[in-house]
Amino acid sequence: MSERALKYWEGLSVGDVLPELCQQVDQTMINAYADASGDINPLHIDPEFAKTTIFGKTIAHGLLTLAFVSRVLSHWNWHGWAYGGELDIAFLGPVYPGNEVRVSGEVTAIIQSELGVFAHCELACSCDDKVVLKGKAVCQI
Amino acid sequence: MNEYVAYESLVEGADFLQPAPAFEVTQERVESYIQATGDQTKQLENTLVSGERIAPPMLAAVYVIEALRTRVGPPGGIHAKQKFKFYRPAKIGETLFTKAKVLSLYEKKGRQYVEMSTETKNQTGELISTGIITRIWGKVDE
Repeated sequence: MSERALKYWEGLSVGDVLPELCQQVDQTMINAYADASGDINPLHIDPEFAKTTIFGKTIAHGLLTLAFVSRVLSHWNWHGWAYGGELDIAFLGPVYPGNEVRVSGEVTAIIQSELGVFAHCELACSCDDKVVLKGKAVCQI
Repeated sequence: MNEYVAYESLVEGADFLQPAPAFEVTQERVESYIQATGDQTKQLENTLVSGERIAPPMLAAVYVIEALRTRVGPPGGIHAKQKFKFYRPAKIGETLFTKAKVLSLYEKKGRQYVEMSTETKNQTGELISTGIITRIWGKVDE
């Protein structure tokens, strides 16, 4: 299948940044995610148990942080993300109650193939200066 | 509660979930997820022409993990990496079935890694999402 790298496509250019999201995370939000997801691992919701772990306190579910990434991509390119979008991420560190998670992204390539035109994006979530999640997404534009 | 699945019992290429557990996409579950994650995507408020309501694509993180939670490793496991491909969002009223297969098993820096592929289809066999999850497997007596 032949592919062609483009510098821009219909108003989108390589180097464009995705709309940034800053989300405050607190224990109430973590508890709500535990209820919604059914993931009631005490590491997330039991401060006394969490004190006995290497983290020393409760941490947010990694998949809650990933939900923030999905919010950014949904807001930026709903159809391309929800219908055919791909994601490849690594969890690099914990998010603690009280942290603000900053989700950022940048278009690193625009690839045209027989299937359509696709934006390749690099993504990161950070708390202060520490990167807690990093990865890539691809969605049709 | 199920017994813990030992790393040593896993086999590359083997099915991990047999049969595939069912997940009902209810309005309550979807609304609960949207509220918990602060998702204000406007398309989620709309009703499709067909009269159906859709869920956020990342609800996959709930229906896949819930399926995998039917067979868990010892405590101390960590979710290290995740890949997803969304074919379309799940719809309220659907029943989803997630299959999982052990792709690879490897050790690095004294940690045991399990990489699994997942495939989720609805009750009519329509593909909803696929994924690859990499977990650092918990160890007994850790």
